[in-house]
Amino acid sequence: MFLVIGRTMKESFINFWRNGWLSIASVSVLTLALYVAGALMVLMMVSGTVLANVENRINVSVYFKPDVSEEQIIKIKSDLESYGEVKSTQYISKEQALADFKKNNANEPVILQSLDEIGGNPLLASLVVRANDPNQYQNITEYIANASFKDDVSRVNYVKNKEIIDRLNSIIGQARKVGLALALISAAVAVLIIFNTIRITIYIHKPEIEVMRLVGASNMFIRLPFLFEGIIYGVLSSLFATILLLITMKFINPYISNTVLSRSLMAFYFSQMFFILGIQLLVGIFLGIFSSWIAMRKYLKI
Amino acid sequence: MKKVEEIENENEVVEEAAGEEEKFPMFKFDHVTKAFKGDAAALSDIDFEIQEGEFVTLIGHSGAGKSTLLKLIYAEETATEGEVYFNGAPLSKIKKRKLPFHRRKIGMVFQDFKLLPKKTAYENVAYALEACGARADEIREDVPQILDIVGLGDKMGKFPHQLSGGEQQKVVLARALIHKPQVIVADEPTGNLDPGNSAEIIDLLLKINKLGTTVILASHDRDIVDRASKRVIVLEKGKIICDDAKSKYRVC
Repeated sequence: MFLVIGRTMKESFINFWRNGWLSIASVSVLTLALYVAGALMVLMMVSGTVLANVENRINVSVYFKPDVSEEQIIKIKSDLESYGEVKSTQYISKEQALADFKKNNANEPVILQSLDEIGGNPLLASLVVRANDPNQYQNITEYIANASFKDDVSRVNYVKNKEIIDRLNSIIGQARKVGLALALISAAVAVLIIFNTIRITIYIHKPEIEVMRLVGASNMFIRLPFLFEGIIYGVLSSLFATILLLITMKFINPYISNTVLSRSLMAFYFSQMFFILGIQLLVGIFLGIFSSWIAMRKYLKI
Repeated sequence: MKKVEEIENENEVVEEAAGEEEKFPMFKFDHVTKAFKGDAAALSDIDFEIQEGEFVTLIGHSGAGKSTLLKLIYAEETATEGEVYFNGAPLSKIKKRKLPFHRRKIGMVFQDFKLLPKKTAYENVAYALEACGARADEIREDVPQILDIVGLGDKMGKFPHQLSGGEQQKVVLARALIHKPQVIVADEPTGNLDPGNSAEIIDLLLKINKLGTTVILASHDRDIVDRASKRVIVLEKGKIICDDAKSKYRVC
């Protein structure tokens, strides 16, 4: 058994070498397919974390009219907390809001100056409400708008956040769809090209195969080299695709790290690299075997 | 379920064959007819037996059905009617999967050699053993030995194109013998050779036969058949017109 595998492996490596350009074509197309698939995986992972980050940052701020007392607001706070979809609420008093505002605008003397000129505290007390699920903000705002304390509420700032989230969601969804389509198309092309390569290999080896049959080689012995050839395509392509992906990541790293993603893209990629490589290997080997198998089924009459 | 039954049936047949081996001729053609689609029958009502250790020459013009008959023997084709038995087991019942094992009992020699051009004489012979799954040390030992026997001990490293026709055919013979087959099937082995080389090949076949291997030789050349001077089966238009032990073609 090991003998057979050893011999056929040797045979397939020789085939791979002697087929030169054909092998290069097969490997490069499969590499491209796996590269697109890998990039898609990274994109999905990055977008997942980005979305999670953004979702964590969103909340609904409910601002109260200046004449609403703190006790009333605390009552409303506990009322909101009893609402099932609310994860947490945080009370920000007028004073704290002023302090925060001053802190945030410490570098803007004009603003601080004008604040002083107004005198007193123009800011409103507010409740920051976070939901369990970003899709529930709609319900929460509706609940607030119809609640018994609706007359105390000055305004609810949710709408503009909602637009950003919706846009992000749809962009990510579109990107995934396009990526998936690209990956599928390139996988189909890869299968066709490997299929063709193996077909030509089979033609080249026709006399040899005939002799093999006549001297009583088992079907497995005849087939294995072709299967191994497919596997070689898969392994090589996934390695190349990983290298390409690494280069791409390095290239776009400065544009994405720390702005969209809260940490370095490279670090993120490295943490996932072996997982992605593993999947690429699996897919590559599967595609290699799959296309070799159809070629054999069709052209290797044994 | 059906498959399992089939396999079991097959095993029964094999067991029967093994149990009563003495009784069965090596090959038995039982009223065999072979027709290819759209053509007249290539073989019709062929009925004869070949015993173990025999040297049988098949003779007939091109298209008389010699090659077809040999193909039935190595199970490349199956009979349209009737049945070919090998040691009592019907060949048409051989599973595709089991076919290689049947082939390993047969050594084949062809008019066009069918050597692998990119392999040396040694590698060509070793290849047959590799394909059967032989161990590496076995191969290293047996291959030079067999090449010595056919008289090519000093040309093991040569590629087919560096060898003469006769030498190439000897490599083929060595390849056919390397896995110690029960029977050698030679289809016009001298078709591409001059008389001197042809005689050498025939002598080698006779020698092989003397050592106990059954030989089935097909040829259209009466000199070859005369030289062998063994049982002759004459085929004409797909029919056996003469089956005579120890006969010369002329007499038939």
